[in-house]
Amino acid sequence: LPICPNGSVNCQLSLEELFDRAVKLSHYIHFLSSEMFNEFDERYAQGRGFIAKAVNSCHTASLTTPEDKEQTQQIHHEDLLNLILGVLRSWNDPLVHLASEVQRMKEAPETILWKAVEIEEQNKRLLEGMEKIVGRVQSGVVENDIYTPWDGLPSLQLDDEDSRLFAFYNLLHCLRRDSHKIDNYLKVLKCRLIHDNNC
Amino acid sequence: LPPEKPTIIKCRSPEKETFTCWWKPASDGGLSTNHTLLYSKEGEEKVHECPDYKTAGPNSCYFDKKHTSFWTIYNITVRATNEMGSNVSDPHYVDVTYIVQPDPPVNITLELKKSIKRKPYLVLTWSPPPLADVRSGWLTLEYELRLKPEEGEEWETIFVGQQTQYKMFSLNPGKRYIVQIHCKPDHHGLWSEWSPEMYIEIPTDFRVKD
Repeated sequence: LPICPNGSVNCQLSLEELFDRAVKLSHYIHFLSSEMFNEFDERYAQGRGFIAKAVNSCHTASLTTPEDKEQTQQIHHEDLLNLILGVLRSWNDPLVHLASEVQRMKEAPETILWKAVEIEEQNKRLLEGMEKIVGRVQSGVVENDIYTPWDGLPSLQLDDEDSRLFAFYNLLHCLRRDSHKIDNYLKVLKCRLIHDNNC
Repeated sequence: LPPEKPTIIKCRSPEKETFTCWWKPASDGGLSTNHTLLYSKEGEEKVHECPDYKTAGPNSCYFDKKHTSFWTIYNITVRATNEMGSNVSDPHYVDVTYIVQPDPPVNITLELKKSIKRKPYLVLTWSPPPLADVRSGWLTLEYELRLKPEEGEEWETIFVGQQTQYKMFSLNPGKRYIVQIHCKPDHHGLWSEWSPEMYIEIPTDFRVKD
């Protein structure tokens, strides 16, 4: 969808249209992340007990994000928007490496590879869209300090297969989780800011 | 003998705000056996006991809103104890995000209308289950409806996404149809039960209400 339909240059999308696009993107990114996780889980993780180890090991765990409906509804919308931006930024780096590391996997299934590349691309677009929304909602000020670094590249390149597969499993598990959070928060924000909590 | 190992059967959330787990009690060899549900949450060392054994009936544990977190893995076990000793179930890992099964949709209405070309069509409308908070956007539901002639065998199933109204064309005058609807959270979770059957007869010919 071009930002400026019918060729005009400086068109200004309404906040509603910006949110519509952001929710479509976040829904799509989570759908892909979920499919990718399920496919990897089926193909590589059966019977390895990875879920028990994948506890509290997401690189974004230090970001205090709402964990239930009440917390999500009580947080100020600007704080929630900045949290979403922080989570999205924190995924830029790992998504770049995920795509290249998946290519190096033995018989890397094309479908997992394609999704990794597509998610990386769409994550960037969503980040751009969110910066527009935040810029609109906070009249120009886009905070840049919420971010958590990712140091997981070496574990994706380990020689020991079980350790390497667990590293991939954990990254995809965290991506599925965080993309679902973003999708859920955006749907709540859209209902709050655009539809006055009457979706 | 100590009791055998109990088994956690399933955990479900009806509205993505609370959840309940059920277990199958261990066979107790005739001795009085007591069951205790224990859980720990991702990121916490502490082990908690079930907050409410009563609300959801026997062999169950109900987690109210205060005890329910999303995007968090619960490690749940059940311990069976009698005078001879105890035995613990295998751990059951649950993230409530993925176990939401809503109640069926409600307030289903069926209304016959006639299109401009005088062909009959059916307008179905429905509402989300009362427990589900879709207004705030916390829970987004998708719907699927099915329809078949009363004496027919094959259901025609139609996925309608998030809308709560649907127009059905290509209905045969003189036929009596059965209609049902169910729903599911977008992305994850389970389809609800089907709504109760509703019937509609397409008259051989009928006048549109004035």
